[in-house]
Amino acid sequence: MKRFSIGALAVLALAASMPLIFHNEYFFFAAYVVLQFVVLATAWNILGGYAGYVNFGSGAFFAVGAYTAVALYKAFALPLGLQILAGAAASGLLGFGVGMLTLRLRGIFFSIATIAVAIILETVVVNWSYVGGAKGLPIMRPTETPFFANHTVWLFFVMTLIAVVAVGAARFVETSWIGRGLRAIRDNEVAAECSGVPTLKLKLAAATLSGALMGAAGAPYAQYLSFVEPTSTFSLNYAINALAMPIIGGMGHWIGPLIGALLLGSVQQIVTVTISSEINVLVVGVMLVVFVVAAPEGILGLFRKFFPRRKS
Amino acid sequence: MKFRHLLAAVLAAFSFAAVAQQPVKIGMSMPQTGPLGGGGKAALLALNMWVEDVNAKGGLLGRKVQFIAYDDQTNPGVVPGIYSKLLDIDKVDLLIAPYGTNVTAPIMPMVKQRDLLLMGNFSFDANAQIKHDKWFNNAPWGAGALAWGGTFLQAGRALGGKSIAIMAADAEFAQNLCSGGRVIAKAMGLQTVYDQNYPPNSVDFSSIIRAVRAAKPDIVFICSYPAESAAIVRAVAELGVGPTVKIIGGGMVGLQFAPIMEALGPLLNGFVNYNSYVPEKTMDNPAVREFLKRYEVRAKQEKVDPLGFYLPPFNYAIGQMLEQAVGATKSLDHKVLADYIRKNEMKTMVGNIRYDTVGEWAKPNLVMAQFRGIKGKDLDQFRQQGKQVIIGPAAMKTGEIIPFDKARN
Repeated sequence: MKRFSIGALAVLALAASMPLIFHNEYFFFAAYVVLQFVVLATAWNILGGYAGYVNFGSGAFFAVGAYTAVALYKAFALPLGLQILAGAAASGLLGFGVGMLTLRLRGIFFSIATIAVAIILETVVVNWSYVGGAKGLPIMRPTETPFFANHTVWLFFVMTLIAVVAVGAARFVETSWIGRGLRAIRDNEVAAECSGVPTLKLKLAAATLSGALMGAAGAPYAQYLSFVEPTSTFSLNYAINALAMPIIGGMGHWIGPLIGALLLGSVQQIVTVTISSEINVLVVGVMLVVFVVAAPEGILGLFRKFFPRRKS
Repeated sequence: MKFRHLLAAVLAAFSFAAVAQQPVKIGMSMPQTGPLGGGGKAALLALNMWVEDVNAKGGLLGRKVQFIAYDDQTNPGVVPGIYSKLLDIDKVDLLIAPYGTNVTAPIMPMVKQRDLLLMGNFSFDANAQIKHDKWFNNAPWGAGALAWGGTFLQAGRALGGKSIAIMAADAEFAQNLCSGGRVIAKAMGLQTVYDQNYPPNSVDFSSIIRAVRAAKPDIVFICSYPAESAAIVRAVAELGVGPTVKIIGGGMVGLQFAPIMEALGPLLNGFVNYNSYVPEKTMDNPAVREFLKRYEVRAKQEKVDPLGFYLPPFNYAIGQMLEQAVGATKSLDHKVLADYIRKNEMKTMVGNIRYDTVGEWAKPNLVMAQFRGIKGKDLDQFRQQGKQVIIGPAAMKTGEIIPFDKARN
């Protein structure tokens, strides 16, 4: 825990010092996206990786965070920190509610239910004119950001902080009794229940935490883009990336989604800059197919294969 | 001391020469895939033609023009990232907005906060909320929906229409347009018998058309995007919209694109829709005619919209406006250029344009045209006069409106 805390502080210090190294705003614009995917992938892995419940509705949780923040910003001009907390709370509640309704379903049925939730919520937002409805809503960023060169740098730092919290939460879940219970559910839910694992409670806790983290990732989205509209906010790309990154990085360990998101997110951003913006979705697809076929346990699995731990 | 002066002068001359060698970079995102991809590709070809032409004349300020365009997939979510890249990585000197309202809206806050000149590209009321003073939209409809829906609804009224059905896509452009339509309809005393939105990219309109038919409207005002427009035309052909309907159409994007016109052929007969250019005598313009001749050759090679009536002349005109402003001011400073465009008449092949206070055409020139006498799927027929008869505004009129059912027969 001590080593992790030192590492987390080092990451935050590095993020704070980035503006001294990089002066190009686009670097922070692109890095923000990578960090956003670190949060989404880590959050997805809590339910999908540890418990084996595949959520295809990541975009909905992300969007609920975004739209909660937008609504509160418009109504009360809440500062970003409170927007993030509110976004996380709203998406956490959504995770709890969806969990209550759907976590009794298993396998493909649960996944289909999460897609349905995303479609329903997108329809609600499309018809909610207060937050722009289908037309979308432009958001003017604050012109001055204390302590930071500009608002993009500030948002980059905020997303780093959320990413650190998300990875910390995932690590806590994994190494605690909750993680052991979730892994038992993944391996054999009936056996876990018979062994005294409170399966529904654990799944609900995982769905709530996963949803809250996705909502936190979505909350600054409108300020990042200066605009929010439902089609791109509920985009299936979020669900695909949130799922692909842990699969590519490795789902069994908290560091897997982190590796997957850093790798895939960075490759996507580099491809966007050097080749074209439309190729990056292809990159996700190709890498997903390659890893599913050649390395089903992801990069972590490959690492363990080539560098096995010595038995003492 | 003299040597030092000489050295400084030589270095200054070299650095000046180096700057002179650097191209003037103009950047934009353009929908090349997704719902607006068909129109975007044609618009991009026109802009490329302008770049070739201006470079053949020596470029801007004696520097070659380099044009950088990325595909935004008609996805508003990727557009701010593209413009951030254009500004911070590609270091473009001038910006052009993507074609369409939905993809332009997300960059308006960015350009306002960075205080940049942005040449708009067929978007509708994209600056209504932001009110950026360096925004100049090249689109013939002007600000607000009055110039747009007004002509259509007046034509419906002239046919004796008293009730209206409104159907609109749940998207920025369609919603803006239909909001204006509702205001005009109310002012005209039309009774609204049907008013529904549908999700963007819907493909099956049979239930909606049945509901419209059941409501028995006289006027059907539609605000739709390309794939939806084609699906609506097909649904009307298959199911019929009812004998009460005197006029149908208004704001259907896509019925101006050659591939859709070719695919729909005679199913288009009777529909009344907005357009920026149709080959009618009141719109005849030698410069546009000459441009379209050149465009058709290139469009065939590059397999894009072979007619090129709707967007290409206006996109070429965006280049002409930049050329005029940079040439007159001898500057690439956005404030200087914006001041010039605001105060002066811009001479383009689509007409001489003056801008109003919100950066839209001060004198809109949008026409409503009715498809008539379309036979088969021969694309050449759309190049003839009389196939898209202009029914308004009065100054551009080339014929009177015919009720929908008569124009179908």
